[in-house]
Amino acid sequence: MSDYNLIGKRMPRVDSRSKVTGKVRFTADLNLPGMLVGKVKRSPYAHARIVKIDTSKAKALPGVKAVVTGEDTEGVKWGVFAYTRDQQFIQMEKVRYIGDEVAGVAAVDEETALKALDLIEVEYEELPAVFDPLEAMASKGPLIHDDFPDNINVHVNIDTGSVDENFEKSHYIREDTFVAAEESYFQAEPYAVVARFDEEDCLEVWMPNGGPHMKSKPLSNAFKIPLHKVKVKKIAIGGAFGGRSEICPVDYICALLAKRTKAPVKIQFTREENTIATRQGHSMIVTHKTGVDKEGQVLARETTCYMDGGAYSSTGPIATSVPFLSMEQAYRMGSVRYNGYRIYTNKPIRGMIRVHGRAFACGVDTQLDMIADHLSIDPVEIRLKNSRQPGEYTSTKSQVSSCAMDETILKAVEKSKFKEKWGKLPAYHGIGIGTNSVQTGFPMGIRGGSQAFIKFNEDGEATVMSGVVDNGQGNDNMLVQIAAEELGLLPEDIHLVSADTETTSSDPGSYSQVSTFVGGQAVQVAAKNCKKRLFDVAAKILKVEPDTLAAKNRMIYVKDDPEKSIPIKKVVRIALLNFTSVNAQGGYWPKVDMKREWVSNPFGQMCEAFSFGTTIIEVKVDPDTGQVEVLEATAVQDVGKALNPLVLEGQFEGSIAMGGQANLTEYHDWKDGRVLNPTMLEYKLPLACDMPPKINNIIVESVDPKGPYGAKEAGMSIAMSAAQAYAAAVSNAIGVYLDSYPLTPDKILAAIKKKQEEEAKQGAKKARVN
Amino acid sequence: MRLPRFEYLEPDDLTQALDMLASHKEDVKIIAGGTDLLVRMKNQLLTPAFVMSMKQLSGLSYIKNHDDTLTIGAKTTLADIVDSDDIQEGYTALAQAAERVGAETIQHHRGTISGNILQDTRCIHYNQSRFHRSGRQPCHKDGGKICYARDEGDRCYSTYQGDMAPALIALEAKVVLSKKDGKRTINLSDLFTSDGFHPFSIEPDELLTEIILPKQKNNSKSAYQRLSYRSAIDYPITSAGVMINSKAEKIKKARIVVGSMSRAPLFMVKASETLAEKSLTDIDAFKEAAGIAMDNAGTFAVHNAGSTLEYRCDMTFVMVLKALEQAAGIEK
Repeated sequence: MSDYNLIGKRMPRVDSRSKVTGKVRFTADLNLPGMLVGKVKRSPYAHARIVKIDTSKAKALPGVKAVVTGEDTEGVKWGVFAYTRDQQFIQMEKVRYIGDEVAGVAAVDEETALKALDLIEVEYEELPAVFDPLEAMASKGPLIHDDFPDNINVHVNIDTGSVDENFEKSHYIREDTFVAAEESYFQAEPYAVVARFDEEDCLEVWMPNGGPHMKSKPLSNAFKIPLHKVKVKKIAIGGAFGGRSEICPVDYICALLAKRTKAPVKIQFTREENTIATRQGHSMIVTHKTGVDKEGQVLARETTCYMDGGAYSSTGPIATSVPFLSMEQAYRMGSVRYNGYRIYTNKPIRGMIRVHGRAFACGVDTQLDMIADHLSIDPVEIRLKNSRQPGEYTSTKSQVSSCAMDETILKAVEKSKFKEKWGKLPAYHGIGIGTNSVQTGFPMGIRGGSQAFIKFNEDGEATVMSGVVDNGQGNDNMLVQIAAEELGLLPEDIHLVSADTETTSSDPGSYSQVSTFVGGQAVQVAAKNCKKRLFDVAAKILKVEPDTLAAKNRMIYVKDDPEKSIPIKKVVRIALLNFTSVNAQGGYWPKVDMKREWVSNPFGQMCEAFSFGTTIIEVKVDPDTGQVEVLEATAVQDVGKALNPLVLEGQFEGSIAMGGQANLTEYHDWKDGRVLNPTMLEYKLPLACDMPPKINNIIVESVDPKGPYGAKEAGMSIAMSAAQAYAAAVSNAIGVYLDSYPLTPDKILAAIKKKQEEEAKQGAKKARVN
Repeated sequence: MRLPRFEYLEPDDLTQALDMLASHKEDVKIIAGGTDLLVRMKNQLLTPAFVMSMKQLSGLSYIKNHDDTLTIGAKTTLADIVDSDDIQEGYTALAQAAERVGAETIQHHRGTISGNILQDTRCIHYNQSRFHRSGRQPCHKDGGKICYARDEGDRCYSTYQGDMAPALIALEAKVVLSKKDGKRTINLSDLFTSDGFHPFSIEPDELLTEIILPKQKNNSKSAYQRLSYRSAIDYPITSAGVMINSKAEKIKKARIVVGSMSRAPLFMVKASETLAEKSLTDIDAFKEAAGIAMDNAGTFAVHNAGSTLEYRCDMTFVMVLKALEQAAGIEK
């Protein structure tokens, strides 16, 4: 039994009540006095040169307060890395996808702003556009970005050596290609931003974000103003899933309009804008060539991946690497060679998404099942034969400390009765397993660490300041829970100030699965430091040594003699009377290899912890329609330590929806660079009624030596492995290994028909022979 | 998304409503729930000067059982249709169709039978925002001369995706169209023009006020089947409404209607006729009819409703067969 009061307990989130009662405010709900409505003029062409922009008619329209174009900017280009700065916030020379920003308008109301957009005259010279990554590489047409030959945006090459030798030694080799269409996030909250300049010329800005500090720096660069003058404020956020990690051109456009008009401006995206002008998931074509020994152990693998990156770099180098990293974390490989290409096309910009690399991950596991099939071993055995073990190094030399991958596999197998069902289910019933691993953090240089501050108020309550942002996953609750645990307070005694660049220190943001590990740990360290100050004062009053003390339920007491105690509030007041402040700071910086770089040096310690997940899915396929009915899902993850099982179970179930269920229906449909399904009606986001009737959530705790209380990433390993398990289950049900995702009914039916035809042909052949 | 400006009309009764239609004609659009109209207006596919609400016309919300007919008021909600025992028992296809529209929580209570019948034809290239439709030539339905769904398409191939009409046409429904100085009753199938640009034969000053369902002689059973990728809030990509009229286990009359494959629900005459005098348990006959329905419907369909055209055609066979089997009482 743990000694924790709150850690590991099922605690309703601190923000639940305000969210379900509609009390909480999102960016779109903000209304500041004198606020104007901002709108963005977007390119209706996929690839075109801007010949001329005439804003005079728009400017003359009564009610229009400002019109801005690229001419009004400092011309700063954005890119996550110095070598990927390819995107201006308002295009001046060229547009590269349908939706690219060409102008912004601020007006007294929405109707006027929309009218003004129509009055902006843009003369374009259309250029040949490319929408397919392979075509883009071979295209003789004008490059999308002049300084990127063959439209190759990023090339990640990883080679551990000995790959060819190990293929020669292999008992069995397979090469298979897998493809997946692009998907979108469909955050519940469409993107919105409110900006104003205050009386000290500081920019105040509210928007959904994956880390406020990731927004303030590019804004300070773009306006060429110091960081302290950019105040990204806290606001409730309705989901990110990787799609809110960077600066968005409208953050800048909104701020520029606010600067021009000296008034607050709000830009609110339509659902369509949220789909086309934030980020999308990459579509990809992946070829895995795998060589195994007689027992099914992977000796060599060569993977080549072409990712459709869309019009700009975004997180390109990261995006091109992460699918590989998840694979090398989950599975041991004797040797591996990877060539990942992110290709520019004239399509919306692609970023990181919760299941990053459907074709990659599903391909790895599907091929493993094919190999197991060939060697007559079952899918569980081949995974256990290749699964990551604690203490090992990944192919790119990251040491894996805590790891309970095998336990996740075994528990999932047991709970789902996989062994009893595999190969024994009736026709068109299937069961499949997926396993994966997600990193807890990336190397982020000076922004890799987080710092927290805690101050006690005279009433015995504490204010916690942290840069961690909550964009839906429950980070606010996590910070409160940790602070209350350490300080011996109740959750309601903690006042959280977070995700505000004016009052909180830098933080890596909540998009690399690192918020608990780094940001939570910073709060834990600060709280421990603060508690020490309290104990020093209390020890004097209680006439004991500080190390004999503990804190719980607003009381400080002697561990061996709990009757001997004093309220925390009293200790705070006595401290203040004795000229002692009761506050502290603390920080946490993960020990990663700072020399590791995505493209130039992809070796070294990636992050301090890795999580591992296994999902098993059981399905029934309707052989007449190809439609899939999911009967049961079992999700098991090694999360290190579950700080709040209630929140984790929500994460697991959300992951089944977004990783698994989505792999049945979610994809974008196109016509000449136009997204044909930008809204929730046409894009088949699973609904509550589509979800499996039964989800078994099992938490495995390997207690990471570096994580706060042993915690590491939670949820994403389920999302990834769920996508794989859905693919495996459907393949198992129909007896065909599917290689194109999502697994829509038309593809499933076509595979069933093809199989039936082949069987009929073989039957006929046999009949002839007889 | 913002609604374009319009003047809102809210007549107190039918007479007033018909007066308003008579004076505003083409300039007025009727809102009978709004689940179709408002979305189109937000996309600026329509910018009517007037929007007339049927909110106060409570007299048009009823389900009445008569000797020879069952009549349904135009404003009756889908939820009321699902809940009606008379419809569940005597006109099963209609109840099944209503059940599958939109989501139980919203469209069933907001959406009305006439609103559903008169929902416009749809196309993934047309039912898009103004921004989406900019930067390219307008399509036929948008007032232009191009079809994005079919190469060289010389007319509009938008698809009628309503659920109620295929079921109602299978059930031989008639509709009453009222106007200021009179009314006419036509077969529901005649309400459809098969013109994607202008899918209904209703005049601008007419209001659909009532749906009339005849009582079938003999033993009559009906069923509706539809296919979509999601279990709710999803238009069908193909659907089938069927009615089988039988006596002593022999089919006397069958009506097969295929929806979501063309500009109008398709009454499959040939497929229906093949079933005459067939046994209620003759699965081969059902398969043959479904095959004919698939082949005939397939010639109308274009790739504009999601999924793939091949899949939608294949599924037309499955939907028709399933509906026939269900109506014939064959449990699978």
